[in-house]
Amino acid sequence: MDRREFLKKSGAAIAGTSGALGLPLLSACDPNTARSDSPLAGRKWGMVIDLNSCQSDCTACLDACREENNVAFHDDKRWDIHWIRKVNIRNKESEDDVEKSVILLCNHCENPPCAQVCPVQATYKRADGIVVVDQHRCIGCRYCMVACPYNARFFNYKENEEWPNTAYPKRSHGVAESCHFCAHLLDEGKGPACVEACEAGALYFGDLNDPESEVSELVANAPVRRIRDDWGTEPKVYYLGL
Amino acid sequence: MQVEFSKIEGRSTPFWLAAAALAALGIAGIYATYLMSVHGLYLTGMTNRVPWGLQISMAIFYIGLSAGSLVVSGLYGIFGQVQYKPFARIAAYLAMLFLIAGLLSILTDQGRIDRVFVKPFTYLNITSMFSINPSLYSGHVLICIIYLWALFREKGTLTKIASFTVCLWAIGTHTGTGAIFAFVPRELYNSSLLPPSFVAAALSSGAALMILVKVAVFRGTGRPLDEKLVIWLGRPLLAVFLVCTLYLLLIENAHRFYLAESREAGMFFLFGGLHSLMFWFGLIIFGCVIPAILLFVRRTGTSVPWVVFSSALVVVGVLFERFLIVIPGLIHPPELFPGWEVSGTVLWEGVVDYSISFYEVLQALGVVGIIGFAFLMGLKFLPLAPTEAKVLAAR
Repeated sequence: MDRREFLKKSGAAIAGTSGALGLPLLSACDPNTARSDSPLAGRKWGMVIDLNSCQSDCTACLDACREENNVAFHDDKRWDIHWIRKVNIRNKESEDDVEKSVILLCNHCENPPCAQVCPVQATYKRADGIVVVDQHRCIGCRYCMVACPYNARFFNYKENEEWPNTAYPKRSHGVAESCHFCAHLLDEGKGPACVEACEAGALYFGDLNDPESEVSELVANAPVRRIRDDWGTEPKVYYLGL
Repeated sequence: MQVEFSKIEGRSTPFWLAAAALAALGIAGIYATYLMSVHGLYLTGMTNRVPWGLQISMAIFYIGLSAGSLVVSGLYGIFGQVQYKPFARIAAYLAMLFLIAGLLSILTDQGRIDRVFVKPFTYLNITSMFSINPSLYSGHVLICIIYLWALFREKGTLTKIASFTVCLWAIGTHTGTGAIFAFVPRELYNSSLLPPSFVAAALSSGAALMILVKVAVFRGTGRPLDEKLVIWLGRPLLAVFLVCTLYLLLIENAHRFYLAESREAGMFFLFGGLHSLMFWFGLIIFGCVIPAILLFVRRTGTSVPWVVFSSALVVVGVLFERFLIVIPGLIHPPELFPGWEVSGTVLWEGVVDYSISFYEVLQALGVVGIIGFAFLMGLKFLPLAPTEAKVLAAR
């Protein structure tokens, strides 16, 4: 084999091997590709929040979430974590000081910017549409928090001392987290903690793929809105009375 | 052109004092990082509303500074300006160090440093700028090493190829760094002009730093340096880069200000607090306009002390620019309900502030210490600095 031939052959071999190794690697790289063989596939979890029924002084859903998921509270605005939170909004144009209370949580976007930017695919969208964080993989770069336009993602700046629900793991400091629609409860056939805790009946939860479900009917027939629909993130949390 | 290179002696007391001070800073930075990895990043000034701070700003500042090698290797390798050959080695070595400094700053900023060495490789996400950039940076370091080797061995063809590759690669490095911010849906980040303006500011700070380093190395070692070589780098090169930077900043802000949907954010950036003072005074007036005037005016633009002074202003100005890329976009709230005022009950809603903590400063100084020490040792143990640098008689 002369030099030219050797170079040709080794070049072809390198190209072939890298193609064989690289293609599956590249196709595994898209965090938005839900595996179709997953038992979760087929469902699309969503939530409808009826702001007209929500009581502005009630915090039942916030407390239930914190207890169920061991969400850290350090009594310091800088580092407290809120998977679900309440804000007050006031129309800038109107004369009166009437405030509306709005519940905010992760929107579980169909096009989640957080998953798009995660360098290690620790944040990804499950086959059933829930956006989750693998806390064993997260390197704590906080790019997802920068990319989330809803400020719905949080970082564990400090070790969490409290561990009220020992059935659910708490997180080490140095990783990001956000609402996961209580995926661990859904897997057991229950509903998210916030929905179960709401006595006012302001929170509806269900499968958006099932046309019979309460959420599907509300989305189809009631005047629901999503926060900043124009961003193209396609949230799966809808609001009534916004 | 025959150029002699030699190691510097590096035996004087000031040399060792500087080396010791830098090493001490490096150790302090490592200690601060250790504390953070044990206790958590609450030791920094970052919060759940401002998740990036000083370290990310410094990281992109360093990455930008590495463009100095792009300028010099471009002049020498592509445009055949052989009179810049004497500086090629220092430029390539410094570019390598700055890229390492950028990588170090990003590395020490992670919540779980223990995972950084494995997870990004096993779970690569090609849609993430944070996945793409480290490959660009490490590839850049590798090319710098090959380029340096070619320069040390005086390999003519390889030097040409390597310097050309360095230039192309550097454009990718700087564009990619700008894209970290430009490609996310955040009001003051999302801008397709950010990557090119990052490149322009990188070229400005890179060229300015090359001027400073060159003058410092030659004056510090008492080796003869032809003033014309410094002046050429400043005028027209640095001056033109500055004008490009100013132009892109002008367009970006005017666009933001013009459109009703982003006017409020644009106003906040330009007139919304301490960061606006940094923008007008630190970046625009002292970082771009004054140095550009000083360089364009014949009397000051042809005097080495003035060129050096302008370069120092530019480096500081670009440091402000990097800080302004990162912070204002985070402290400004996303507009979730247009036309409505949002007030928080639990989380900081609205405009928040960010103050740098002591440990964060220590961490940033640590990186300065480590690469500063490596630079001094490079001068002492590698033949980086030319014994003299002259303009060719023909030119």
